[in-house]
Amino acid sequence: MSEDLAPELKPLMAALLDGDHTSALRETQALLASGLPRERIVTEGLEAAMSRLDEKCTVEGFNLLEIMLVGRAVSAVVNELYPGGEPPTAGKATFIIATLEGDVHDLGKNVTKMVLIGKGYRVVDLGKDCPVQTVVEAAARENARAVLVSGLITSVIREVRKVRPALAARGLEHITIVAGGAALKQATPEALDVDYVAETAFDGARFLDDLVGDAQ
Amino acid sequence: MNGLERVMAAVRFQPTDRLPVVPQLFGHAAVLAGIKLVDYLHDGALLARCQLSAEARYGHDAVFAFMDLSVETEAVGSTLLYRDELYPDVAKYALRPGDDPARLRIPEPRQDGRMPELLHAVSLLRQEAGNRLLIAGSVVGPMTLATQLVGIEDALYFAADDPDGFERLLDYATDVIITFGKAQLQAGAHVPVVFDPSASPAVVPAAFFREFLLPRLKKVLSAFRQNGAITTWLNIAGPTAPILPLHAEAGAEIANFDYYVSATEAQRCLPHTCLDGNLKSLDFVEATPEQVFKTAAALRDSFAGRGGFLLSSGCEIPPESKPENIEAMIAACSTVPPWQS
Ligand code: B12
Repeated sequence: MSEDLAPELKPLMAALLDGDHTSALRETQALLASGLPRERIVTEGLEAAMSRLDEKCTVEGFNLLEIMLVGRAVSAVVNELYPGGEPPTAGKATFIIATLEGDVHDLGKNVTKMVLIGKGYRVVDLGKDCPVQTVVEAAARENARAVLVSGLITSVIREVRKVRPALAARGLEHITIVAGGAALKQATPEALDVDYVAETAFDGARFLDDLVGDAQ
Repeated sequence: MNGLERVMAAVRFQPTDRLPVVPQLFGHAAVLAGIKLVDYLHDGALLARCQLSAEARYGHDAVFAFMDLSVETEAVGSTLLYRDELYPDVAKYALRPGDDPARLRIPEPRQDGRMPELLHAVSLLRQEAGNRLLIAGSVVGPMTLATQLVGIEDALYFAADDPDGFERLLDYATDVIITFGKAQLQAGAHVPVVFDPSASPAVVPAAFFREFLLPRLKKVLSAFRQNGAITTWLNIAGPTAPILPLHAEAGAEIANFDYYVSATEAQRCLPHTCLDGNLKSLDFVEATPEQVFKTAAALRDSFAGRGGFLLSSGCEIPPESKPENIEAMIAACSTVPPWQS
């Protein structure tokens, strides 16, 4: 990845991987001022940084703090590039992400969202303690490719199981459902009635890359 | 042998009449008694009564005066959100990340928040069960209290951006915890268990644990020891293999391990420390009694020849668990341990 990295993008890449959000923002502003198109900053800067992090983050080498710091730097750059919140990369899929009703933990969800945004996806975040019906409406409205649910407490499993029937009731059975988070990953996809249960944010992102790639 | 003797024999790697079992039964005791969880979490007498009736039903070896992981933060000024059947969450944190923790005082355990109720539960449990069972009190660890004082996401960014400020927060947390644990020992707890989920490698890397958390955990455990704890017990959930060896260095005589770490790996990490674990929490809700029995029996067998083991779950047994599954786990210890037959 680094070999074919354009020299002008190297300082941004270094700042992102250091999790240094202040320098990353400064580098981005400089790149924009020099006339570099923002799509290139996304694909060659952000996405490249994310796949580097992905390579490092094996299950054994997992480092949440590092992911959060890189994620914070990536988010700062995305906000600078797209202050209105429009999709980072045209044509890439949209995902809906939420922590469902009864669960107010959102660290895992926030981390997953940062990873997916860093990979150039559009992610609509419905927050925590979110009713299933709100998820279904957003999925329809946003023409989502997948619905992502995160859960830290086992009591939220009841809600997770309602997602597929609720999507089907709106004629949205084609939408893929992915679950993750400390409580949900103790269960199988069958038990949750979802298509995939992710071990980590990167594991989930890889599944989604394949899903979107296959469809193209 | 009674429960207390059994647990303490295992801590010393001595033989026991059967494998000791210390399921992490907290809110499940309320569900079993038909009591609302929120009432259980507010009333020490009710908590003690439910713990003892759960023990009467299942016949395990330890009872826990444990409410939830928000008792300390509430006592020093955070506001909690309570719901009838769920554990509370912090709705408003006592501090913002940059705030000087010196603005908060050290709580008075006989007065502040739910601490007096927890102490009441401890003394009732001790009065009723005496030295028949292990009476476990509970405190959070320094990292968990720090994350519960400012919020986990903010706490982690704070730790990265201002390590000195974060250490001051950890020191304050350590003082709060020692104060509360000592009061539990005075009220009759045999040992205050230190629950520190936010210290898990799921949240912070092992190097962070070693540098920032290990010295404070050492301080907490040795303070408990000096104040009469009969043993020391550290409970961290999640993928703890990288930090398990450090549990001994922290001074823990009992170390919890979660389902992420195999029994073999845990034994390799801590050859001379009593381990407790590691059935998967969700299995108590979702699996069949046959499956739970099989896993528990295999776990028991993997400690045959070594000893130093308390059968348990890797984290809390969820309140909504099926009682048959808890019975199945306990049935797996009711025979003579294989290493003595
Ligand atoms: C830290 C921690 C806490 C902290 C949480 C702080 C916070 N505000 O978030 C505190 C101290 C508050 C806490 C409290 C409790 N905890 Co706790 N805790 C943990 C621990 C050790 C780590 C969880 C964590 O935050 N990890 C970091 C985050 C980032 O990881 P994550 O959520 O898994 O997300 C990652 C991936 O899963 C993925 N991901 C997440 N969501 C999604 C979604 C999608 C679509 C994808 C693709 C990926 C993805 O991305 C992230 C990065 O890879 C876990 C054990 C473990 N698994 O390690 C127990 C654990 C979550 N806790 C548990 C328990 C029991 C509790 C309590 C109920 C204890 C109690 N009786 O009070 C309370 C619950 C409080 C409440 N009100 O509900 C159990 C839950 C099981 C259950 N019974 O429900 C766990 C799983 C332990 C276990 N092994 O069983 N806990």
